[in-house]
Amino acid sequence: MSTPFTTGPFKPEAMFAGAAAGFYELLKAFGPQGAAAPDLNSLSRALGAQLEQWLKSSQAPGPSFWGSPPLAAGAGFVPTTATGSAPDARATWDLLMRLAQLQTQLSAQWGEIASGCAQRFAARAGALGAGALTPESALKLYELWVDCAEEAYAERVRSEEFASLQGQLANTTAELLLLQRRQAEQLARAFGLPTREEIEGLERQLRELREELEESSGARRAPRTQPRPKPRPKPHPKPRPRAAPARRAARRRGRRPRA
Amino acid sequence: MSEGGAATAGLFFDLGGRIAQTLVRLNAAREVTVGCSAKQPVWSRGKTTLYRYLPLTAIAPPERAQHARGGRVRARPGSARPAPVLICFALVNRPYVLDLQPDISLVRRLLEAGLTVYLIDWGEADDADRGCDLEHYVERALGGCVEHVRGAHAGAVNLLGVCQGGVLSLIYTALHPRQVRNLVTLTTAVDFQTPDDLLSKWVRGVDTELIARCGNLPGAALNALFLALMPFRLTQQKYVRLLLSGADQRAVEEFVRLERWIFDSPPQAAAALTQYLRWFYQENSLVRGTLEIGGRAVNLKQIRQPLLNLYAAADHIVPAAACAVMGRHVGSRDYTGCAIDTGHIGMYVSRRAREEIPARIIAWLRARS
Repeated sequence: MSTPFTTGPFKPEAMFAGAAAGFYELLKAFGPQGAAAPDLNSLSRALGAQLEQWLKSSQAPGPSFWGSPPLAAGAGFVPTTATGSAPDARATWDLLMRLAQLQTQLSAQWGEIASGCAQRFAARAGALGAGALTPESALKLYELWVDCAEEAYAERVRSEEFASLQGQLANTTAELLLLQRRQAEQLARAFGLPTREEIEGLERQLRELREELEESSGARRAPRTQPRPKPRPKPHPKPRPRAAPARRAARRRGRRPRA
Repeated sequence: MSEGGAATAGLFFDLGGRIAQTLVRLNAAREVTVGCSAKQPVWSRGKTTLYRYLPLTAIAPPERAQHARGGRVRARPGSARPAPVLICFALVNRPYVLDLQPDISLVRRLLEAGLTVYLIDWGEADDADRGCDLEHYVERALGGCVEHVRGAHAGAVNLLGVCQGGVLSLIYTALHPRQVRNLVTLTTAVDFQTPDDLLSKWVRGVDTELIARCGNLPGAALNALFLALMPFRLTQQKYVRLLLSGADQRAVEEFVRLERWIFDSPPQAAAALTQYLRWFYQENSLVRGTLEIGGRAVNLKQIRQPLLNLYAAADHIVPAAACAVMGRHVGSRDYTGCAIDTGHIGMYVSRRAREEIPARIIAWLRARS
């Protein structure tokens, strides 16, 4: 069965196979009952357990970007005093523990969703009537199951509790990643390798140079409001005067001083 | 075996056959191409490329006329051609969904109506772009595109902003009202804190400064975020529906084209993404009038040009309520808001939308050319 909330390379056949397997499992749960009326309560509980497993099988700690592989990748890197300072190692352990607690809370939310879905399904499936499964009745059953799952999911994930949990997961994962990055940078420095900080400094300089270059070349191209004239050679384009230092510095910060 | 048991066994047998057949078709459709209309790059800055679509001269006139449901857009008396349409798509998705295949292509419908169409492709943000902020995208990238199109056509442009690109278009138009003749927005939020906005709820407690320091957000993480809004429908139900629909090879290819787009979110520049989360989802600054881009206040009341706002009535990403209030916040007296009976993705590809939306845009532009 496919796992929720994780996407890798584009493989529609894999997604399809996962969904088809889920559909098959659902039908199998109903199939052996044949024409006899199924015990909807126990069936729904079993299906709910399957759903919970599906939700928990996600590799990510949350359904959104904080669980993304790059952010969560650091979770496997546990520093020791050999790779960083003792306070950093302690801080990392604290964050890992915090993350584990949050994931436990998230897991409880998945359980609530699964049980909410099972309850809804048990209450409504009876209306579909018993009888042999046909492609049409199978689809109806499946659509009902999806409706129940989405309703239970929406109710839970729209709660303040869930939203707050997501925020905490995002922030804790980011803190962990940044702390581990700092430790990795210490190692890189020790080996004389360029660090992220240094590369970012170079990127900043490159961007500023690029902007200045574009500005100066933009100044040579007067904005056109009339139809484009035939190109004529411009032997000595006059560059626009450079902006005043304060204004230039403000632009680098992404803000222009108000006139 | 009982009669019911036999029927169930028959169903499982049939299901196995369908699964195998659909898998074969999906495999055959794996290399399906996306984007169908010819275009050429005409300008670029950083990772942003501006494309101009080539006119549909290869299509015979009667066929073209049949496709152009809204009729051809004619220029104002005295002017040579109708103003070109510049499409500003979202940063979070690829724009080729607007030109997916010949019969699912807003771009093609606009071309068939005789319009000149430009499209902005934001490209693939990499580590060097992590500092690209919203000012960069609005002023330098979108602004550069508008300047280029204006230069090439001697006049204001018709700006068509889609989803997040609609937000960028609103900001740009508010800051540079004289550059835009008509503004069209598709699935564009202005109020980011409506009760049904799940994304808004989820990101409310996120420390954006912290997230920004982590670097660019990978596209896969963005995909996961969108799928998590309705995981059972988006990762399960649609495949089961495909299985039971008896889709032929053509239908499967169409399905795969859209899937390819859905799973093809580009990486997001850290600065722009976190500004977007903070300023819009957390602070709702567009409707509160507190947004500043590059130190300039963004006042939506400055948007006085004709504005057509199309949005989906059943949108799970940008709720209808988030879009519907646009008319209250802009200064335009010629404002048309219209809810289309579909979902977010349906706005680009559903059978209904592929006819109704181009026809509405073309007719609306024709009346204002």
